[in-house]
Amino acid sequence: MTTSTTTAPADVLTAGARTVSERLADVWTDFEERLAHVPVLSRLTEGTVTLEDYRRLLFNLRQQVVDGSPWISRAASNFDIDHFELRAAAIRHAEEEHRDYLMIERDYVAIGGSLEELRAGRKNVGSEALSGYMFHCADQPNPVGLLGAMFIIEGLGARRAAGWAARFQEVLGLADSQVHFMRYHQEADAQHTGGLDAILTSGMIDDTAADEIVRCAEVVARLYALQLEELDR
Amino acid sequence: MSTTATAYLTGFGRYLPGDPVDNDGIAARLGGDDPVTERIRRRVLEANGIRQRHYALDEHGEPTELNEELAVKALQAALEDRGIAASDLRMLACATTMGDVLVPGFASMVHGRLGGGPMQLLSASGVCASSLAALDAAVSKIRLGDHPRAAVVGSELASRSLRQRRFDGIRAGMDSHFLRWMLSDGAGAAIVEFQPHPTKPSLRVDWVRHVSLAHEHDVCMRAGMSGPEAVVGSTWQDGDIADAEARGMFLLRQDIGMLDDLATAGIRQFEELVDIGLVDVRHLDHVVCHYSTNVFRDVAFDALRRRIPTLDTDRWFSNLETRGNTGSASIFIALEEAWRTGRFAPGETVLLAVPESGRFSFAFAHLTVVSPPPPPAGMAPPVQQGAPT
Repeated sequence: MTTSTTTAPADVLTAGARTVSERLADVWTDFEERLAHVPVLSRLTEGTVTLEDYRRLLFNLRQQVVDGSPWISRAASNFDIDHFELRAAAIRHAEEEHRDYLMIERDYVAIGGSLEELRAGRKNVGSEALSGYMFHCADQPNPVGLLGAMFIIEGLGARRAAGWAARFQEVLGLADSQVHFMRYHQEADAQHTGGLDAILTSGMIDDTAADEIVRCAEVVARLYALQLEELDR
Repeated sequence: MSTTATAYLTGFGRYLPGDPVDNDGIAARLGGDDPVTERIRRRVLEANGIRQRHYALDEHGEPTELNEELAVKALQAALEDRGIAASDLRMLACATTMGDVLVPGFASMVHGRLGGGPMQLLSASGVCASSLAALDAAVSKIRLGDHPRAAVVGSELASRSLRQRRFDGIRAGMDSHFLRWMLSDGAGAAIVEFQPHPTKPSLRVDWVRHVSLAHEHDVCMRAGMSGPEAVVGSTWQDGDIADAEARGMFLLRQDIGMLDDLATAGIRQFEELVDIGLVDVRHLDHVVCHYSTNVFRDVAFDALRRRIPTLDTDRWFSNLETRGNTGSASIFIALEEAWRTGRFAPGETVLLAVPESGRFSFAFAHLTVVSPPPPPAGMAPPVQQGAPT
């Protein structure tokens, strides 16, 4: 957990245990397999997705995304001075994210949805679980494990969101300005995951922290998929 | 690379005030029953071929409705045809030659009367082609993805300024009589959306094109100026209003000597559409053309036939003879009737053509009839689709 100043060279680590990046890559592979079975995403792949699917997806995402910046802020406040770099990164990240939900709202209105209904919506059961878990983690002292949550959520933005946006556009005939949120996340989250990679390989992460990060990634991956499976529930 | 949405016309409406008025019923409403006027009227009616029209005037020539009311009624009909409410609209584009009032803009008045929620407005002024200028604006915003739904309306209430009291004591030649016995009232509307109608065919808007040739043509149709040139200090707004009226500045006039040039220029514009490939003559199934009189129908039809030898007369639609010349409303009133009466089949293409004599503007729109999308197959509740456990 504490920032290590005596980390062994990478080749020594890989010789014995697997690196945190390798372990996260496995989590990502499982996550992608699960996503492929999420109904709305499989319809997207097949090309049978409807405008109503896209509307529901935005509706459900929005209810969780409004909480994104608060849990990151709370995590920031729980990093002590020994974790100054992580605190700084979390503060920056929270600031960058805390208007993201407005992009979803713009997209939602641009496809004919009602802003009043969107804002009156509640989280689905998956979003409740995801958000609850994030706040729980963020409440811990020095919640380094949340880097695993970032790995999943930002990874989704960087690696998948633009593909989803393009596919929704292709199937439903949407303009760029109707898929802002997903298009934006490709760029923004690619920057964030770049920052994350730098942290993971910086030597700041010891074995205990690595275990926490991987475990958090596993839980968040499952709950994120649950959020997408449980639309409107 | 940026991607745009597609714009579809999904609902159509029209409103024609009062009962149809045949050629014998005109004088009761507009006046002008002296022998000279009578003779002129008969000559003009013979040339324009209009057999009946509608006026928002009662049998004594008193106004029964506002122009904004005609627009709202056409919009309500279009909304009902589509099965949505005014509150579903995010944009309203209105075309008219003259609103009821000088200020504010016509679209503000129409929106105020129509209701609904907050929306973008456009008041397109001009004459006949302002109809497609309004359509173009709405279609562009839909394609940009800025709005999911918009409405377009063309609306005219010319009749009140065609009544005898406007002509008493004023020197009015054929330049004003030609229009006096040609124009009438009405409104036509269409709903524009980024998705096709869920259960019925729609008209996909492939493109809209609007070209002005005012840089090389003088004014052809005018009001509010004393001659074809606008001169500083001598428009209707500059001097005494009574003086402006006495000089006939409030009569709508058209230099009918320029109309042959207008037809020639319009045909050249159409030829250009063919030459640059915007219109594929092998796949053009229908033409809905606005024209002021039947004389120009024949001129235009001959020109089309030169490029599209297979175009027979039943692929050509106009309802000028029965609905009158309603200016900026005409093209929408014609499109609504063609659509409602089942002239178009899925896969077919439609060219809308609107020449405007004002100062030589030409507007065209190319539409394709599309079938409703197939019912969504993958709409079973998500949990039944086997989320992994």
